[in-house]
Amino acid sequence: MFKNNDDIKRCKRCILSENFPRIKFDSNGVCNFCNNELLHITEDEDIDKSRDEVINLLNKNKGQAEYDAIVCYSGGKDSTYTLKLAVEKYKLKVLSFTLDNGFISPVAFSNIEKVVSELGIDQITYRPSYKFMKGLFRISSLDNIYNPKTLTRISANCNSCISIVNNMALKMAMEKNIPFILAGFTLGQIPSSTIFYQNNYEFLAESRKPILDKFKAELGSDVSKHLEISQELIKKSKGYPYNINLLCLEDITEDEIVEQILPLGWVKPKDVDGCSTNCRINSFNNYVHIKKFGYSPYELELSHLIRKNLLTRDEALKKLFDQPQEQIDFVKAELRIDDSMLEKY
Amino acid sequence: MNTEVLTKEGIQVDLLDFLCRQFYVDIEDIALDRSLVDTGIIDSMGLIEIASYIKKRYAYTVTNEEMNRDNFGSVIKIVDFISRIKEG
Repeated sequence: MFKNNDDIKRCKRCILSENFPRIKFDSNGVCNFCNNELLHITEDEDIDKSRDEVINLLNKNKGQAEYDAIVCYSGGKDSTYTLKLAVEKYKLKVLSFTLDNGFISPVAFSNIEKVVSELGIDQITYRPSYKFMKGLFRISSLDNIYNPKTLTRISANCNSCISIVNNMALKMAMEKNIPFILAGFTLGQIPSSTIFYQNNYEFLAESRKPILDKFKAELGSDVSKHLEISQELIKKSKGYPYNINLLCLEDITEDEIVEQILPLGWVKPKDVDGCSTNCRINSFNNYVHIKKFGYSPYELELSHLIRKNLLTRDEALKKLFDQPQEQIDFVKAELRIDDSMLEKY
Repeated sequence: MNTEVLTKEGIQVDLLDFLCRQFYVDIEDIALDRSLVDTGIIDSMGLIEIASYIKKRYAYTVTNEEMNRDNFGSVIKIVDFISRIKEG
């Protein structure tokens, strides 16, 4: 059994813990990630290059369809700021798209309503049945459905939820010939090599097939509805849209983001954990991840922010440990899961 | 274009170094002749990251048509693919 987060050995500079894959500490207690022995990419250089390419792409493709971009909008601070950037900085005509996964904070929904009204943009909310979402989260929590090497930055439940967001946004973009899908990921959550990329559904779907087959075996045909795109639409579509993470191109702290979105009426929900500003299942997802792997799925992201001087180590630790037990217990009851069912990988 | 790495062996060494650093795996974990997805080294986003690596390292943008199992189905296939685009 892994140690509790409180007494775990962590890097003295960032917050990566002793259970993180490939981690080693030097004699000063600093990890090999901070010592730049593992990180492959010179990010500043990549970001500058990506910024130029993204601006060229946007300028070349906007104004050709009903909407320039679908923004995947969770109601959290990062996607709220992404929406603001898309409308005000990049002057895009956007369609805001929210997945209601059944665990979104009511305050986050209120934020969505206020922000889209304030920015004057269209909004679509997609809500699979609560029964389906609970089933998806239960399987993702219990069945070790993803390979552990692919879960260093994300919990299994977040991965499943974001897969629906990505799939439904792609489906809508292809139906409406919208050239861009924007999401609010930050560097640390994603590698800098994926700041922008063109979708390729067929090849990526092939790689996801074993996972979808496992879901289908337990959840039935609804899996296709929420997580697949028909061959008919692929044939009919004029091409695949680009996914862009605009927030990765900004050099901005969390406090500055909040300062920017408060005038839109955004309010920080109180019923979420320190790592989320919209979702009430997140603390449970982190709890499961720590039980299975011994480290939080947020360690890499928060450590990245520390190294970029966008967050202090103390602030990061505060976020990491702010995991309300009542939220975890609430989700355990909803999904009918107890600790004895959570196997270590 | 970076012309420093010319041989298939060199391309493979460079690719393996990238994979180990980017996906936090040990070189012993990677089976050269098997799919990186099937063996759990990467997920579908990992394929995007490899395409991005090829763009950065070899100044070549992988097209949608080229994103297939013949070109990306294993380390050996990716090395062959890079080798072909370098020759082309």
